[in-house]
Amino acid sequence: MPKDKLANVITTYITILDSFSVNFPNTFDREIENVKMASVLVRFSYLTKNQLGLLAPLANSAQVCCYSTPPGTPPPQTKTKFGPLCDEDRIFTNLYGRHDWRLKGALKRGDWYKTKEILCKGADWIINEIKVSGLRGRGGAGFPSGMKWSFMNKPSDGRPKYLVVNADEGEPGTCKDREIMRHDPHKLVEGCLIAGKAMGAKAAYIYIRGEFYNEASNMQIAIAEAYQAGLLGKNACNSGYDFDVFMHRGAGAYICGEETALIESIEGKQGKPRLKPPFPADVGVFGCPTTVTNVETVAVAPSICRRGGAWFASFGRTRNSGTKLFNISGHVNTPCTVEEEMSIPLKELIELHAGGVTGGWDNLLAVIPGGSSTPLIPKSVCDDVLMDFDGLVAAQTSLGTAAVIVMNKQTDVVKAIARLIMFYKHESCGQCTPCREGISWMNKIIYRFVDGNARPDEIDMLWELSKQIEGHTICALGDGAAWPVQGLIRHFRPELEDRMKKFHEQQKGQHAARN
Amino acid sequence: MLRITAQKSLAGAKVSPKHLFPIFSRSSTDVAKKPEKIEVFIDDKPVLVEPGTTVLQAAALVGVEIPRFCYHERLAVAGNCRMCLVEVEKSPKPVAACAMPVMKGWRIKTDSEMTRKAREGVMEFLLVNHPLDCPICDQGGECDLQDQSMAFGSDRSRFTDIDFSGKRAVEDKDIGPLIKTIMTRCIHCTRCIRFASEVAGIDDLGTTGRGSDMQVGTYVEKFFLSELSGNVIDLCPVGALTSKPYSFTARPWETRKTDSIDVLDAVGSNIVVCTRTGDVLRILPRINEDINEEWLSDKSRFAYDGLKRQRLVTPMLRDACGELKPVDWEAALLGVGKVLKAAGGNITAVAGGLADAEALVALKDLVNKLGSEAVCIENSFPLDGSGTDLRSSYLLNNKIAPAEEADLVLLIGTNPRLEAPLLNSRIRKGYVHNETEIAVIGPKIDLRYDYIHLGEDPSIIRQIENGQHAFVKKLKSAKKPLVILGSDTLSRSDGAAILSSVQSLSRGLQDEMCDPEWKVLNILHKVANQVAALDIGYTPDLSKICESSPKVLYLLGADDCGITRADLPDGCFIVYQGHHGDQGASIADAVLPGIAYTEKQATYVNTEGRAQQTLVAVTPPGLAREDWKIIRALSEIVGAKLPYDSLEEIRYRLEEVAPHLTRYGCAEAANYFCEALELGKKTNAPIDTSPLDVKQKTLEDFYMTDVISRASPTMAKCVAAVQKQNLSKY
Amino acid sequence: MASQAVRGGARQVKPLLSLDNEEARKRALNLYKAWYRQLPYIVRQYDIPKSVEQCRQRLREEFKKHECLTDVRVIDMLIIKGQMELKETVHVWKQKGHIMSYFKPTAEPKPTDFLSKFLQGVN
Repeated sequence: MPKDKLANVITTYITILDSFSVNFPNTFDREIENVKMASVLVRFSYLTKNQLGLLAPLANSAQVCCYSTPPGTPPPQTKTKFGPLCDEDRIFTNLYGRHDWRLKGALKRGDWYKTKEILCKGADWIINEIKVSGLRGRGGAGFPSGMKWSFMNKPSDGRPKYLVVNADEGEPGTCKDREIMRHDPHKLVEGCLIAGKAMGAKAAYIYIRGEFYNEASNMQIAIAEAYQAGLLGKNACNSGYDFDVFMHRGAGAYICGEETALIESIEGKQGKPRLKPPFPADVGVFGCPTTVTNVETVAVAPSICRRGGAWFASFGRTRNSGTKLFNISGHVNTPCTVEEEMSIPLKELIELHAGGVTGGWDNLLAVIPGGSSTPLIPKSVCDDVLMDFDGLVAAQTSLGTAAVIVMNKQTDVVKAIARLIMFYKHESCGQCTPCREGISWMNKIIYRFVDGNARPDEIDMLWELSKQIEGHTICALGDGAAWPVQGLIRHFRPELEDRMKKFHEQQKGQHAARN
Repeated sequence: MLRITAQKSLAGAKVSPKHLFPIFSRSSTDVAKKPEKIEVFIDDKPVLVEPGTTVLQAAALVGVEIPRFCYHERLAVAGNCRMCLVEVEKSPKPVAACAMPVMKGWRIKTDSEMTRKAREGVMEFLLVNHPLDCPICDQGGECDLQDQSMAFGSDRSRFTDIDFSGKRAVEDKDIGPLIKTIMTRCIHCTRCIRFASEVAGIDDLGTTGRGSDMQVGTYVEKFFLSELSGNVIDLCPVGALTSKPYSFTARPWETRKTDSIDVLDAVGSNIVVCTRTGDVLRILPRINEDINEEWLSDKSRFAYDGLKRQRLVTPMLRDACGELKPVDWEAALLGVGKVLKAAGGNITAVAGGLADAEALVALKDLVNKLGSEAVCIENSFPLDGSGTDLRSSYLLNNKIAPAEEADLVLLIGTNPRLEAPLLNSRIRKGYVHNETEIAVIGPKIDLRYDYIHLGEDPSIIRQIENGQHAFVKKLKSAKKPLVILGSDTLSRSDGAAILSSVQSLSRGLQDEMCDPEWKVLNILHKVANQVAALDIGYTPDLSKICESSPKVLYLLGADDCGITRADLPDGCFIVYQGHHGDQGASIADAVLPGIAYTEKQATYVNTEGRAQQTLVAVTPPGLAREDWKIIRALSEIVGAKLPYDSLEEIRYRLEEVAPHLTRYGCAEAANYFCEALELGKKTNAPIDTSPLDVKQKTLEDFYMTDVISRASPTMAKCVAAVQKQNLSKY
Repeated sequence: MASQAVRGGARQVKPLLSLDNEEARKRALNLYKAWYRQLPYIVRQYDIPKSVEQCRQRLREEFKKHECLTDVRVIDMLIIKGQMELKETVHVWKQKGHIMSYFKPTAEPKPTDFLSKFLQGVN
């Protein structure tokens, strides 16, 4: 399909979303992209589910461009095969640190090329290009970036605006942002400038987690280089635009990856999520309008602007366009971080880049496709699932941060999930009740499940508990803790019941032996 | 220090819609456009609300109460207990009613399946780690968690894990002699933290740790010492923070509750006295939006145990050996009566700070009948110029509640934090939410908000009056300036000059005010009945007493006037009538036991001129009698019978003297500001150079200021705690 | 009519015990004698700190108190009450305190003026 038409589709979609959000800021809440711990695609599915009714009349009205297919379904796919990505289409060309990461090397790789011209084209052009590209937030929730950035272009009320880059990559299994920051920091610095220009921000704060010492050090050097080269600061790149980039190192708390907790942390308070509304776009860091975006989202922006949104949109299925950094870890032969086209089949991704599952594909038990907070999928689903937002939602999970955790049949899957819940228990901020009390309760129960020391009806109770946590909390950490449990129960209930049976038989045997 | 800037709040930080409304309304006056009301449906009942109203407030409008733990209308919204989750049609997940502003056409279901499930779930989670020690918990019977788990909780337990791992346990904290902590019971609603940082201005409370290890407490081992600390006991929805003096004494349903008025400062906070079998068990605040909102200062709340100690329970007369010996009323009255008759009009009466209006008027009538005009009060007040003839010179004219709307407050020689904690909380509220600027002339004191310290020199007042001081510019540009003059300043020898100076500078500002209701000039008193005494016609000039060499000195609860035997001529007979054996009783030749404020129905007038009455909560101890009745009985003995036998009759007499004294609940406004100023100008006295001073400077000075609080062991413990804290390195 | 009815009512009043004054007098004397004879036993049985003489004195006082009565029905009622009292006393249905309460000095009148109320602490 022609590129301009595709762009039109996206804008239409965004308009609809936009109108919806105005009426219903609550769903907006769900759409915030940057909850990197919470791959919030399931929330996006809420939107689609609930908006179907709303979308239909809007889409059919004369004002918006119409399609013969009912809205909500993706337009016909021109491409049928996704991936592998050819080398000239890679954005992160120094992902493995084989080249110089400093300014000199970055310039060689094409960073900072004609940045001034991009800036001079203006905010609207940049935002339009991002909208055309169909870029969706890379932090987990997958909110359309162009739309999110455009929220900032409201008439100013005198307060400065800020861009906050979420580099607090804490989601277990995820290791994409650190590769960008240590090997290609200039991509991020340039991205900050361009994204900052797009939303009229005065400065960017890069909130980097405390454990990323080397990454923070490299970033700091890159920022300093950019300042020295006149690429940042007053009159950045000679474009007449003043822009500063600051680094802020966190102290290492998973919850600080939630956007409002991150804002609190930058302000020097305890990293505890704020209530929404007001959203950061109204009241963010230091009380000023703020957009919080993921590192990868920002870092791909310069390439999109240089090579065109349409180029970016040509990868992957409609609405899931672009390239993406995938992190493959767990029981694979060569765990790696790799840039691939969206919508690549999971099996191909693992076989091609990670050297296959340990013990062969048939030895696969389950895959957590998007970082620890997404529900796992068993092998049967893994066989043909496509790695993109919609494909994984259809499989009742989510793309999240695209951190693929592979588990082969030698894995104790209950224990693995239990360990994740323990992580969430440890990282819950303790502010709101369901998360604070619920997760530690779930943790107690699931560790009994590991031994089998429970009754089968407690599985239903655990399911219910996870439902009592999900959607009842201030931020999405509660959801992120509930989903792995739900995935486990959904796909491995017989395994759980087996264990209980075995445990009770063993107990009985011991009891008999003692008597 | 927490301060929500107006800009931030204006930008839609819906921290506390209640506090924001005045700001919004004020800022929108120039726009003169009222926001259109929007319609929402609560359980299908339509209701029109202002934009920005939260779901919870909208539901309250139609009488639907949504359960909550963390939400409190006078504190910022935290939204962390999640008890107030309600379903909104078309929203996939429930919303937190306390924080979510309503949108047009929302259909809110407060009793749907989803809402009920959400509440049940949250309740279950809250109870997971809450100890089931209700039988030994002091909150039992008035516990939000108890009540709401009855109303919204599940009817059976699923918590089988208790057999495996038990519940969370948290170490108790020692946060002072007033508040007992049982932190295992804490449900982390953070009300206490928000109260401390927003209202009290003490950032000592906070949370440490995270997840299930989160604890509420002071970060380091430290006492939570504030003049308003007791309020966290009322705020705590569970039994985590309870009253230490009241611990294990009674259940709320056993006590009898009597509405009354607090008399330990001049604010006149409304209180509820809880009693059982003739004992005052505790004192709680009663909501009065005009005075104390729902807060109460620690002295008013905890000094009640002083009512049982050091009490005078029987009349006493000094015998030949110089010992005070208990006698019966007849002997005492006859003894005093004989002396009074013999004095032949050479009598002086001094009233103390706790005397009620009825006793004041009776004493004045008696002394006048005996041919003397010398009735005065302990706290001096300048008599030059209009003196106490015009009420505007001695009232907190602008009232207490509007103090939070002021945009500039000038405090002269006063420490409102300790003299009137609840007025100070109003000023602080303005400081936090309204960007109020505060300036102080007087000693550097800790007010729990930032202020501009102009200096201690009283001549600064003159400079401001004459427009020579740099601060004048700020004063002139203020829309709602407030000048508060402390009563300590007025008892100085140059009090009259300072008063007239302040009057004239206030007049200058008043003339430029567009709002005639806004009064710039305010006097802040420290004792409960000062205004009533001045209204009735007591002269506030103590120094003349000694000069007049009276034959009889009649002290009506006067313990702080500093008169000693040495000041009086030989053979002067001192009668002390009051309820506590303190300074006054120790020098007296005859002691007539009166009764305290919890034991009588009596009238008090607070510093803003509002008449209020206390009610009888307990019976007086021993032979103690109501004060005005003692005077009435005495009058009959000396043959100058006063014409009132009952409360109605003496109140009728009060009405004759000053009609507003019996208009309970109303604050009678003063007028004749200009005339007072003109009269004041005539004095033309110079202002001293000695620096302005206040008696109560640090928290230590706050707790023991009158006979009741001086007799209170709890207050003594508080002083000890402050001293201990001062030694601590934190 | 009305006056007739009243007169009729007055005439037809039902006597309690006695038909005339004479009979009432006899009954009163009988009651007096009965009490009089029982007094020694009462004093002994109840072990009250009063002598028989004092009791007789008190008995006389009690009867003298009502000597001015003329209405037969009132006298009869008092006689009935007296008989009941006697029965209760003789059968020791009463206790010592009840008997002693016959000897209670007259209650002082409640104070009415302010000063005496004040001294007694009743106001």
